[in-house]
Amino acid sequence: MHRTTSLLSLAFTLSIGVAATADEPVSFRKDLAPILLDKCLACHGPKKAEGGLRVDSFERVTKEGDSGSPGFTANDLDLSEAFRRMASDDADERMPAEADALPAEQLALFKRWIEEGAKYDGDDPTADLITIVPAPTHPEAPATYRYAVPVAAVVFSHDGKELIAGGYHELTVWNPVDGTLIRRIKNVGQRTRALSLSPDGKLLAVGCGAPGRLGETRVIDMATGEIVNVLGTTSDEMLDVAFSPQGDRLAVGAADGAIRVFEIPSGKEQLSITSHSDWVTALAWNADATKLVSGSRDKTAKVFDAKTGELLVTYSGHGEAVKGVAFHPENNDVFSAGTDKKIHRWQISDAKKTADVAFGGEVFKLPLSGEFLFASSADKTVRQFEAKTQKQLKSFAGHQDWALSVAYHAETKRVASGGFDGRVRVWNVDDGKEVASFFAAPGYETAAK
Amino acid sequence: MKMAVQGIRTGALVTVAFAAMIGLTRADDFKLEPVQVGEPQRIEVFPPAIKLNGVREQMQIVVTGFYPDGSVQDLTRAAEFASSNAEVFNLKGSVAHPKADGSADLKVSVGGQEASVAVSVANQGAPQPVSFEYGTLAALSKQGCNAGACHGSPSGKGGFRLSLRAFDPELDKLTLIHEDFGRRTNSIEPAESLLLLKPLMKVPHGGGLKIHANDSAYEVIRDWISEGCNLDPPEQPRVVKLEVYPPSGRLLKRPAHTQQLAVLAHYADGSVRDVTELAVYSSSDEAVASITENGLVVGKDRGESAVIVRFMEFIESSFVTFVRDIEGFAWNNPPINNYIDEAVDAKLQQLKFLPSSVCTDEEFIRRVYLDVIGILPTIAETQQFFADTSADKRAKLIDQLLERPEFAKFWTLKWGDLLRLTSKQVGDDGVYKYHRWVERAIETNMPYDQFARELLTASGSTHLNPPANFYRTATDTNDCVETISQVFLGARLQCAKCHNHPFERWSQDNYYGMAAFFNRVQRKNTPKPDETFIWVSSSGEVTQPRTGKQMKPWLPGDGDVEKADVDDRRGIFAEWLTRPDNPFFAKIEANRIWSHLFGRGIVDPPDDFRDSNPPSNAALLEALSADFVKSGFDRKHVIRTILNSRTYQSSFEPNDFNKDDTKYFSHYQPRLLSAEQLLDAICDVTAVPEKFGSLPPTTRATQLPAPDLVKHEFLKIFGQPERQTVCQCERSSESNLGMAIQFFNGPLIYNKLRDGNNRFRQLLNEQKADQEIITQLHFAAVNRPPTEKELAATMKHISSKDEQIAQHNTETDAKIVAMNKAIADMRRTFEVKLFDTKLQAIPETLRADVKAALAAEEGKRSEVQKYLVEKLGASLAVSADEVTNALDEEAKKMVADSTAQIAELEKQKQALGSRRIEALEDVCWALLNTNEFLFQH
Repeated sequence: MHRTTSLLSLAFTLSIGVAATADEPVSFRKDLAPILLDKCLACHGPKKAEGGLRVDSFERVTKEGDSGSPGFTANDLDLSEAFRRMASDDADERMPAEADALPAEQLALFKRWIEEGAKYDGDDPTADLITIVPAPTHPEAPATYRYAVPVAAVVFSHDGKELIAGGYHELTVWNPVDGTLIRRIKNVGQRTRALSLSPDGKLLAVGCGAPGRLGETRVIDMATGEIVNVLGTTSDEMLDVAFSPQGDRLAVGAADGAIRVFEIPSGKEQLSITSHSDWVTALAWNADATKLVSGSRDKTAKVFDAKTGELLVTYSGHGEAVKGVAFHPENNDVFSAGTDKKIHRWQISDAKKTADVAFGGEVFKLPLSGEFLFASSADKTVRQFEAKTQKQLKSFAGHQDWALSVAYHAETKRVASGGFDGRVRVWNVDDGKEVASFFAAPGYETAAK
Repeated sequence: MKMAVQGIRTGALVTVAFAAMIGLTRADDFKLEPVQVGEPQRIEVFPPAIKLNGVREQMQIVVTGFYPDGSVQDLTRAAEFASSNAEVFNLKGSVAHPKADGSADLKVSVGGQEASVAVSVANQGAPQPVSFEYGTLAALSKQGCNAGACHGSPSGKGGFRLSLRAFDPELDKLTLIHEDFGRRTNSIEPAESLLLLKPLMKVPHGGGLKIHANDSAYEVIRDWISEGCNLDPPEQPRVVKLEVYPPSGRLLKRPAHTQQLAVLAHYADGSVRDVTELAVYSSSDEAVASITENGLVVGKDRGESAVIVRFMEFIESSFVTFVRDIEGFAWNNPPINNYIDEAVDAKLQQLKFLPSSVCTDEEFIRRVYLDVIGILPTIAETQQFFADTSADKRAKLIDQLLERPEFAKFWTLKWGDLLRLTSKQVGDDGVYKYHRWVERAIETNMPYDQFARELLTASGSTHLNPPANFYRTATDTNDCVETISQVFLGARLQCAKCHNHPFERWSQDNYYGMAAFFNRVQRKNTPKPDETFIWVSSSGEVTQPRTGKQMKPWLPGDGDVEKADVDDRRGIFAEWLTRPDNPFFAKIEANRIWSHLFGRGIVDPPDDFRDSNPPSNAALLEALSADFVKSGFDRKHVIRTILNSRTYQSSFEPNDFNKDDTKYFSHYQPRLLSAEQLLDAICDVTAVPEKFGSLPPTTRATQLPAPDLVKHEFLKIFGQPERQTVCQCERSSESNLGMAIQFFNGPLIYNKLRDGNNRFRQLLNEQKADQEIITQLHFAAVNRPPTEKELAATMKHISSKDEQIAQHNTETDAKIVAMNKAIADMRRTFEVKLFDTKLQAIPETLRADVKAALAAEEGKRSEVQKYLVEKLGASLAVSADEVTNALDEEAKKMVADSTAQIAELEKQKQALGSRRIEALEDVCWALLNTNEFLFQH
């Protein structure tokens, strides 16, 4: 049996490595929180609070657990139960349980921090650790892919000359006409679930993360590929991101059930809406950015006032997870779709369904582009509708696996879609002909051959 | 008399099963005895030849030692294994692993014996992809991921849903590979897959730590992901059989207490693979044995345990018996009355339990009356039985009881529970007709096969043909399948309606295959009130809801019925069911009869036959059911045979060598009387019958046709079932506070104790002596005379009532005296006042002298004083009336009140013996509250 070194934990280790030289004080955020997240949270978090201790915020980790002694106490190593257990020689009581002891240098960091007064260097002592640790530098993407990864998000560049697809720890940028690789954008989370291009085409929001561990929105400068900002970090995947039509706001939805709205370019959080009880899977703005619609695994779609975050209406007609949402071009109705294999059109005024469109499998993304509505589905088709009447105009076939994502470029009249098998297909909307088809996984096709 | 009442058992089976499935057991969880190898005569190695055909293959080796005394033990833990060519294969413990193509020998040596097994290794140059079903899904099952309490629950857990025990690979494929953009698997970095990080607790997991990186299951899942999460090619051979070595029957004697299992999956192409590390193990009795995750059975106590081995949809079991020497144990050759005792004794002797001695006549008469006719023997019957000195008096009594009308009525109650006989379900008229039909069947001793056939194939009017009510209570096809399988096949099939049975071999296909016999049954209400017409339509098929497949009628053991081109397929089922060689039919009923007579089935619960719930004495059940078949399904014959066995007639009092036994029938196990028996018994003891609505006044509780004809609070409290289900478990045997309150001070018992015409009041009226009454009460309640001690205590209780009366009367008298004195004192003050007034009329000079003269005693007065009294006494005398008239208001009131109180106190004074009746109520109450009365024993 061979061991694979975890790249993710390597990333954490790296960020730990660069910290705390002897002359500057130990930082809870930078030095200790990553260790707590990696080594302790699974058993001492919201799902399991072994020994009554939770480490998911500074406040919690310095509170008393069942032992009657807090995890850490300023200037008192004996009254720091977590430290005592991590430093113990007795394998039965040493933490982390059933695992190797912490390396001596990490233990020394905890010791020094306690002796330096166990200070908190963040803003909010109740904030989740995952939100206060510095954004990680993600590992390199594989030079060549052993396997293609599901392409859950695609988007065209402003001029339509580039097609951006989610990869493994990267975005890959392709020529949509001939499927050649143009460039690779690195330092992105393990999986990319959502992409949104700012209306001026200069910024790309990337909803990415590692399942069960991390979710974040990386805002990337399209020209340079540099990370401009990292927003809305949570402990599980970021599932959708959407720039407002005016480009001054960015809405993100994550597996923690929250919708967050940030001011662009400052990155200041404007709203945090916690109305859904499960993953927020889809988000869309109306044309004048006064309303926001969301879909969730809690089987509802909801419309909010985009200024105040006030809930305007809840639609429960799907009875199954909702995975795609869009506003009707006239803004009085909403389209939503999901696991029930249908697009529903319903009225914002009273949440009454007025029409539906059936698919042969569940429906994922539902982008609206001008007068057209597109949909990608597990029935392996991508479909184009006249948005006003939800009349189907075309069905683009060719995917051999679920069609997960879809994007449209109005000027070049091309539609692109990413499949579960990792293949991206591009069609001309006018004649429905396939323009290009390729695996969005550098080196994979060659390797497969 | 000492009563050893065992704790009442509850149906914790399901809980145990779940517990066993969630946590995996590792060998270091147990303290293992070292193997005492000794000197085996020979050793045997399993398998006899080893083929390792692929890089993922391995083989668990099991070594068995055979000893001159006939004993056998597992030597796998002690044996030394060696490969003749470590380039070809090597060994990790007792598991052979391939290295390179070729042939070599496995050398096994232990206890001075040696053996050699040929090992051939092939296909080591080619990759061997992990199978999705037989690798990944088996591994998830092994770790318990898809257990009912975890992701196998219908709604999954934490948004992740697997099919229960992987019965639906299609759903699992979707969930594991495709769902949520493939977030659960990561083929690029397999160890980073959420599917592995969660159970490793590297990522928070609500289910906690469920896998270790060195588990076989971990390796299988990781490799499957690493290979790209492939599905099985359609041409991949299916598993057709699961083989467990050793097969049933291994007997281990301490210090030998472990047995390594080898589990082999046989494929359709003839290939065989060792799946010992991926199979799932559970024990039918965790107190007897546990099984580690790698298939090591560890005995914990003497007894038998079925080891249940599951691999995907296959379930096999192997029975292992654990025995040990018990210090001081010596078999005492108890009497053998018939084959039952032989089978019971064989098991007892093997496990070293000593049967209790034969019960006394007192125990026997009470026990056999309650079991056969449901009621207590009368005093006359008891005394007559005691007086009988013939050797075969017990057998004669059994024969008499079986011919009494109460026998049929009482056993109809038992069948009424199973057939859900209620007026709600079969109508007010129907309930009498159906009840009468069942009663007639038992009265005439209708052969059981005919009884079943008449029920299962019944058609027509429920009034004219009462057994047709069977299809009235089983309201639809699913209900038919579940009712028939539980009542006649002893299988609880409800689970298989929605998914393959999690603990058993019943699959969802089987459920709907059986449904195809009954789906054509139609039910229609006729214009007559309460009448339903049952008929069978000429067409209609059953579709399996998950696969959408049309099902052929299917028979357990026989498989699909190809020729079923009759309209009414019920006949085919009934014919199969009642065949003498049907493996379920006779056994279920024989076991049910046994459970009625012992309070516990040989398989228990008696309607839950499954591999994971084996009989406590398989030979006994076999013999009993063979006898039942041979007798022509004669139920009375089986009952008679059991009642005549020494086993049935064993005392309830355990001895030092069987007090721990609760399963093997070494002694009779006391149990609370059923609700109906108890009510009838209370009526009989007090001689105050109960009236049940408009039913004839002689109707007993044990003879009520249905529980909803007359609702009776007492019966409900004591567990009378509502007959909503066919489960024997609906009749609750759990004790509760309501029961205690009923017996402590409940209205039913209170009223019977106070009834002016009850047993002891009648006896009192007949001027019977205390001792006679007490003796009669004991005979009525516990079928024996009181012991000396009981009699003395009871008599003392009665006489203590007289002492209380005497004490009470003395106290009352003292109060009366005191009150009279107070009245006298009060009057005296007024008398003095009246005298003083009268004295004023006498010249002042004489007053002192007159006073002194009157005060002086009559005989001691001087002459002068005599003269004064004579002269003036009369005028000074104060009469009682004068005093009474002179009393003021307050004084008058005081005298009146006191006088009334004195009268009241006089009344309270009692004659000795006047509180005997109260004492007798106490005695009767106390008798009803003894364990001896409350428990069948």
